[in-house]
Amino acid sequence: MQRHGNNENNTEECEVTVKIRFFARFRELLGTDIVTDVAPGTIFTSLIASVAKKNPEGYAAIFDETGAFHEFVILMRNGKRIDIADADKTVIADGDEIAVFPPVAGG
Amino acid sequence: MFSQRELERYKRQMMLFGEEGQERLKKAHIFIAGAGGLGSPVSIYLAVAGIGTITIVDMDVVDQTNLNRQILHFNRDIGRKKTASAEEKLRELNPDIIINAIDVKIDDTNAAKLIGRAEGIVDAMDNYPTRYLLNDVAIAKKIPLFHGGIRGFYGQATTIIPGTTPCLKCIFPKPPPKEVFPVMGVTPGIIGTIQANEVIKYLLGSGDLLMGRLFIWDGLQAHGEEICVERNPACEACSDMATMKTTPRNVK
Repeated sequence: MQRHGNNENNTEECEVTVKIRFFARFRELLGTDIVTDVAPGTIFTSLIASVAKKNPEGYAAIFDETGAFHEFVILMRNGKRIDIADADKTVIADGDEIAVFPPVAGG
Repeated sequence: MFSQRELERYKRQMMLFGEEGQERLKKAHIFIAGAGGLGSPVSIYLAVAGIGTITIVDMDVVDQTNLNRQILHFNRDIGRKKTASAEEKLRELNPDIIINAIDVKIDDTNAAKLIGRAEGIVDAMDNYPTRYLLNDVAIAKKIPLFHGGIRGFYGQATTIIPGTTPCLKCIFPKPPPKEVFPVMGVTPGIIGTIQANEVIKYLLGSGDLLMGRLFIWDGLQAHGEEICVERNPACEACSDMATMKTTPRNVK
């Protein structure tokens, strides 16, 4: 379990706590089960970007040069699929569990 | 009817599902797309289980770099067609089944014909464009697609029942970029045996299939978990298919 702190200007009670789970290649590059506190109103995309930026290779595996998710990336929140097109509009809620994974292609 | 040799060969598994179950396996025809890392364990286990007819398709030649994982092929097979190597090994493993090994590239002009009357497709491919083709044929023929994929120490598997579960495009609408993927033989060994186990369960109507569940394996953590996956109502491959109210034969 890793704890990833940001938004240090917020007081404890204002923050929401979320858990991010990376899989496969993303896990190799970024770890997994990352628990982080974020400000209320944080958007899905910016949350994942802030965590992924700790490893430029990990960031590049998930995001393209414009900062958008690569189109093959699978996003889930609490077991429900989030469409990449909706990730910029999706607000994180307290207790969310987020999964981010690539299709695995080899055979 | 089984020969004495078959009755002996399958004795220990008929303790599980009887002669009736074994008869079901013998009557089955399964199509395996690929005789590589996944195709090796899938075909070996389906052959020894007594799946009556196995069609296995591959277009490649055995290369030295395949041998860390493609356990159907031996050092002596380097330079041989994978289909020739696969056919020889599978026949030796079980002379009482029919093996059709076809040396061809699966494409949109031949996929449906190659699969023919097979009652299930095993995805043992190494690329998404061909997987999507298999997915389309599975939907058109209303037969299951047993999906597997691997990379490094990681793997995934799910069982797709068209009209009931999400299809491959519902789960993975866009392919990842092509790459020469790292892999260690145990990973396709694990995922391939899960696929073979799914095929056998499907044919027997036993247990719970990986329906609507994407199994994800992390070999470094020795941890498997599953993610629930749902049909995409806007899926370009299967959205025209009505959701089946009754599940197909043998599917619980």
